[in-house]
Amino acid sequence: MKTNFKSTGEYIASEELMASVNIAAALEKPLLIKGEPGTGKTMLAKAVSEALGKKLIVWNIKSTTKAQEGLYTYDTIQRLYDGQFGNEGVDDIARYIKLGKLGEAFDSEDQVVLLIDEIDKADLEFPNDLLWELDQMEFYIYETKRTVKAKHRPIVIITSNAEKELPDAFLRRCIFHYIDFPDEALMEEIVKTHFPDIEETLLKNAMQVFYEIRSYSQLRKKPATSELIDWLNAMMIGGVNPEKIKAELPFVGVLIKKDEDLDIVRKRVD
Amino acid sequence: MFTNFFYTCKAKGLDISLTEWIALHDAMNKNLCGSSLTGFYYTARAILVKSETDFDKFDMAFEECFKGIKTENTITDRMLEWLDKSEMQELLHEEERYWLNQVEDMHVDKEDVEQKFKDRLKEQDSEHNGGSYWIGTMGKTQFGNMGGNIGGIRVGGSTGYQSAFAVVGARKYKDFRDDKMLDNRQFQMAFRKLRQFSSKLDIPKTELDINGTIDSTCNNGGFLKLEWERPRKNAVKLLLLMDSGGTMIPFTKLLNELFQAIHKSNHYKDVKSYYFHNCIYAKMYKTPECENGDWVDTDWMFRNVDSDYKVIIVGDAAMAPEELYSKTGNYRGPNGGLSGEEWLLLLKQHYKKVVWLNPKMAPGEAPWREAETAVKKMFPMYKLTVEGLNEAMVKLMTK
Repeated sequence: MKTNFKSTGEYIASEELMASVNIAAALEKPLLIKGEPGTGKTMLAKAVSEALGKKLIVWNIKSTTKAQEGLYTYDTIQRLYDGQFGNEGVDDIARYIKLGKLGEAFDSEDQVVLLIDEIDKADLEFPNDLLWELDQMEFYIYETKRTVKAKHRPIVIITSNAEKELPDAFLRRCIFHYIDFPDEALMEEIVKTHFPDIEETLLKNAMQVFYEIRSYSQLRKKPATSELIDWLNAMMIGGVNPEKIKAELPFVGVLIKKDEDLDIVRKRVD
Repeated sequence: MFTNFFYTCKAKGLDISLTEWIALHDAMNKNLCGSSLTGFYYTARAILVKSETDFDKFDMAFEECFKGIKTENTITDRMLEWLDKSEMQELLHEEERYWLNQVEDMHVDKEDVEQKFKDRLKEQDSEHNGGSYWIGTMGKTQFGNMGGNIGGIRVGGSTGYQSAFAVVGARKYKDFRDDKMLDNRQFQMAFRKLRQFSSKLDIPKTELDINGTIDSTCNNGGFLKLEWERPRKNAVKLLLLMDSGGTMIPFTKLLNELFQAIHKSNHYKDVKSYYFHNCIYAKMYKTPECENGDWVDTDWMFRNVDSDYKVIIVGDAAMAPEELYSKTGNYRGPNGGLSGEEWLLLLKQHYKKVVWLNPKMAPGEAPWREAETAVKKMFPMYKLTVEGLNEAMVKLMTK
């Protein structure tokens, strides 16, 4: 299988990141992506699916998500109801088996890109519960005695905000990539894919302020790429004079989300 | 292949298993490294390293193993030249000498290298028509990427990469190392560990498991059968005791952030915090200013804060011997008839789980720090770094 992921029109990936995606695809291992919030971890999966022309299946993980939900669920309640009212087909358990996102990805006729988003949100044991399934790309439905096996191994991309440490056994099976915060040159490129005709002085001044703010170590939450994009957008719509960005910090609330941080920024810029 | 690199990584503290090592070879077989040292660097890092905190260790191992191979491009030219011409022997000597100079600082037996070099040249003569021989050549460790150049595969072809050594040399991941002093975000991460271990707690099954009940009821032919499960709530209670003032002043900011981090991670069942000056005596202060009067009796704390609270003591344990051993050693407040050491022992007897975090702990044995050594004997002491804090959290959660 030869896959080749390159930056797309909307998503600018560093060479390192592209290499990691290609390694993961070639070795058929899940790609684990870590990085600061707002560096485009989730966007990556979308970009990969677009670049390779494959369907994207997203499995959003929450603190209550259990591994089983990704495989399949057996709707026992529906079956109980149907049984009580004598509906047809109660004998057929398969009717009450619903595939989860992982099951869907395995069962798909074509190869898909599967994004397991924010895996660290879930319970500690969650990643371990998926070891076999991600390794073998198959699972067994006990109720119907059917094995769901991936027809084409999906390209699995997993994101983590490092809220919890992931188990070693799980990590061993992954390709790991840490998305660095983009430097100014890369950032400029990223911004230009969003706003191709942005005014140069606006961009230059805004970037200068942005990176200065990021350098303040006391900030609780540093602004990231997505905040910069929103900020530039706000300033473009608001028609801000680029010369006054540093002095006035227009729409700074878009960039800085916490009151304490706002105070720090106001004081420092003055 | 590269077995020395494997062991160097291990020696630097990277936890690499055979699974990953084989995956790396698989990647090389599939020519994912792009036949360049830089490509190899990124491929190896993606496969072998699983956390940005370990990037720095990897960089150092990489540098140690491959440092002799800095002159990538000049070699390419020379070798291509050699491939064009046929006077092999003459050039061989030149190359040999060059390489012998290169490898000297790698502590390799000269004769060994010479032999290997000759062998390899022989092999290449027959192999380089065959195509991608690069990986095979890589096996001659000391010569590393060179083979790639000879085999006619592009070197450094994937443009846009920073050279591996430019990356390694910059040590840009140094900040991520987990033996570094902490900041607030890292503190919070560490304290989340206390939550993650909580699901393993041995507590009775007290919550109705609805899904389990439905399943069992259905399996039971429709007759109700109740199932119970352990609550998923965090049962951890924390007691934080912090040394304040004096020798701890340089660490005020650090302590403040530690405090903030604990209070921000509001997933504990309860958090209580008290302060002390230098050592624990009859009174525990309510505020970091440690003002006389604004305190509670340490006995009161023992009575009111149960023994199942997990205790984190933060302090530099840099007491003068009399502060620890004398019954009148407390120069700020009452001693309560006991020496500092006796108070600490009382605390140790009362609480089941106590760890001591020290921002400036001496590594290993430090007999010249008398008090620190004495305290270390009483409580498990960890340095206040990401690594130390994590270890301390594990200590608090395990039996």
